[in-house]
Amino acid sequence: MIFAGLRRAGVLGINRRNACYTLRWNPRRFYPLVDDKLATKRLCQQAGIPVPALLAVARHHFQIRNLLPALADRASFVLKPVHGAMGNGIIVIAGRERDRLVRVGGRTLRPEAFNYHAAGIISGLYSLGGQPDIAMVEERLETHPLFAELATQGVPDVRVIVYRGVPVMAMMRLPTKASDGRANLHQGALGVGVDLLTGRTRAAIWRGRPATRNPDSGRLVLDVAVPTFERILEIAVRAADRTHLGYVGADVVIDATRGPVILELNARPGLAIQLANRAGLRPRLDTVDATWQPDRPLEERVALGRDLARRHPPRAA
Amino acid sequence: MNKAAAVTGALLLAAGLAVFGAKAFIYQVPLSPADVRGLWQVGLRITARGEGRHGSISTLLPSSVPGQTIFDERSTSGPLQFSIRVTDGARLGVWSGRFDGIHEVRYEFRVQSFGRRATLPERVVDKPPDEVTRAYGRSSPVYPMSAPQVEALCDELRLPSPPDVVGRVRTIFAFVTHEVASVRSAGDDAVLVLERREGSREGKERLLVTLLRAAGVPARNVRGLQLIEDAQPMERVWTEAWIGDGWVPMSAGSGFFGEQPASYIVLGTGDRPLVSGTEVRALAHRYHSAREHLRPEEIAAAMAPDNPALANLSLYTLPLSTQTSLRLLLVFPVGAFIVAILRNVVGVETFGTFLPVLIAFALRNFDIVTGLALVGTVLGVGVVGRLALERLRLLLVPRLAILLCLVIFTVTGFALVARTTEMRELLAGVLFPIVILTMLIERYSIALAEEGWRPATVRLGWSIAAVVVEYPVFRSVAVGHLMFSFPELVLCIMGLLVWIGGYTGYRLSDLLRFRLLARPEDATP
Repeated sequence: MIFAGLRRAGVLGINRRNACYTLRWNPRRFYPLVDDKLATKRLCQQAGIPVPALLAVARHHFQIRNLLPALADRASFVLKPVHGAMGNGIIVIAGRERDRLVRVGGRTLRPEAFNYHAAGIISGLYSLGGQPDIAMVEERLETHPLFAELATQGVPDVRVIVYRGVPVMAMMRLPTKASDGRANLHQGALGVGVDLLTGRTRAAIWRGRPATRNPDSGRLVLDVAVPTFERILEIAVRAADRTHLGYVGADVVIDATRGPVILELNARPGLAIQLANRAGLRPRLDTVDATWQPDRPLEERVALGRDLARRHPPRAA
Repeated sequence: MNKAAAVTGALLLAAGLAVFGAKAFIYQVPLSPADVRGLWQVGLRITARGEGRHGSISTLLPSSVPGQTIFDERSTSGPLQFSIRVTDGARLGVWSGRFDGIHEVRYEFRVQSFGRRATLPERVVDKPPDEVTRAYGRSSPVYPMSAPQVEALCDELRLPSPPDVVGRVRTIFAFVTHEVASVRSAGDDAVLVLERREGSREGKERLLVTLLRAAGVPARNVRGLQLIEDAQPMERVWTEAWIGDGWVPMSAGSGFFGEQPASYIVLGTGDRPLVSGTEVRALAHRYHSAREHLRPEEIAAAMAPDNPALANLSLYTLPLSTQTSLRLLLVFPVGAFIVAILRNVVGVETFGTFLPVLIAFALRNFDIVTGLALVGTVLGVGVVGRLALERLRLLLVPRLAILLCLVIFTVTGFALVARTTEMRELLAGVLFPIVILTMLIERYSIALAEEGWRPATVRLGWSIAAVVVEYPVFRSVAVGHLMFSFPELVLCIMGLLVWIGGYTGYRLSDLLRFRLLARPEDATP
């Protein structure tokens, strides 16, 4: 069979992810909890899981003009659609320059352009299915020094796939110039696989090809220890537990002062994480299914996740 | 695939195949369209308004005459009474009754038209039969053969001697064809047409008959239809002259002589209008036609297999306009099925799930290159317009509405270009799925802005590739025939779709995407 190679590598394909994992383990009625970023935020806050602070919300067009005045005392913030997907429609403001806003990457933005973008968000331009949406502004997290060193721009995060309460794979996502500061691999961000066992980066992928360095800075990104990795896994699993979803991608950002915070959760996490880790997801998912027991404590599940990485190691790069 | 999906798919597939098999092999409904030329179905729809009084509508009905076979006639009459009368050799369908409000009646038939070629004798010795001369050799208000202008012209034309009937007819035919201009708005009175040297199609044919009769050749007008593929039939009038021992067809307006093309079918002879009414107002009628792909005996099998249950389910008994729509509609499941394969088995990413299907459907009347060029033009205008709109910072819905207007302007432009360049096929551009194209422009523009031109254009390329894959399906006579004759195949498609929906294996695109992981050299046992 032409697919023998993929099967041997344990690659999870998109059909199987949809049919056997997202459709099977993520009941539709719980999607709003992760698709609606305000709901996710509320959910995490109730459980004491750190999230970025919410600064302002515009539900209707007439509320847009109140956004910037409410942000007057802030130099940096992030405008995003509450129901956005794949990082679309997000604008990161890094500072101000006279009456203009400065975006990540240095481009400036007039206040009207900012409001226009918010109007586009409310009209549903970036939401799933074009539904009317809500524009929200949240605090811009201060990138951890190590991440700031690895990625020259944007907000790098750590994506953790949590399956039935067990972390099964993790990757660091470093925004690049090509991705316009966004952390999505298909938009050109650098994906760096993190070994669950050691918490160190092992391999990287950029635009579908193996990489070892950040394409912008040339900085080597392999064999770096991810700071507070234990805590990252812990809050990812705790957040996933709250969602009632069995197959979740948790995006965790390490803030320089607050430590790991949950940026958002995803009910249909992408599959490129397998490339970044040089490992297929299927053996790990199968092991979780085979060894699953109800009501296991969090520490035990995180430990199981690390054990998965030992039992199903990535292939040699 | 889970078991429930496997079983459901199998059940649907089996149900569809069972009905299909029974029809195809027990009742002999033909599987593939026969390559039979000249087979058509024709429908007539008449509407009329009445104010409570007794009235009637009548129309000329075709009969099987040399050159054409009429079969499978059907009519609907609503509360009116339908009867067929034969008067003066004409077959008339008459709907009569009390007309109150708007009435709609239909009459449909199938016809196999072979065309007709008459043999033209060198010399004619025999006189025409008396009954022919009596009926078609006389002067009448419509054919004033004794009018002085007509007689004067006959002298002027210096016709060959009477035994050379063909020569006489040719001379007159050449005169009417070349010396009398065809002007659509001109009159149809034979003498006036002769005096002014211009006339409508009807007027020229009347003049032809009048002149022929004046020259001693019995002649008559024939009314019928010119059937045109993928277009409405044209109502036509032409002429027949008695030469030797039979009627010879000719038309000064359509330019045939001695041979009636197979696209012409006869509805009746004489100067009776195709549709007329008494005590009714706002009488309107419209013919429509479609190619038929089965032989008469095959249609009989398809319409009424020897099983009453199947006969009731046959789509061949529906009104013609419904049949035409269903023929198109029933191809869509095939198109959707192909989309499912392309997306879930091949792994092609396209803009909009069914966009390729709708565009392929809209392009079915074009050749693929012209069609794609037109879509490309719409897309180009739209994307440029979208970029220009970007500066205005408009809200989403008004912006989309403006794009929609742009798309419609472009299509309107096609129609104007079509008129001036005689590229009539451009006109079919108005069938483009306007809203879908608008959304394509918007999505492509957003993808351009967000993902860069490369990924956006790659996805556009795949969308076009999907259109190219779908296109032959909508062009195919065989697919259309199969789905229309065996609508139960939709069940089979549903079954296969259930299976595709339950397919959890890799997509072909996964091979490319994850090739890094599947590299054989570092395969570990």
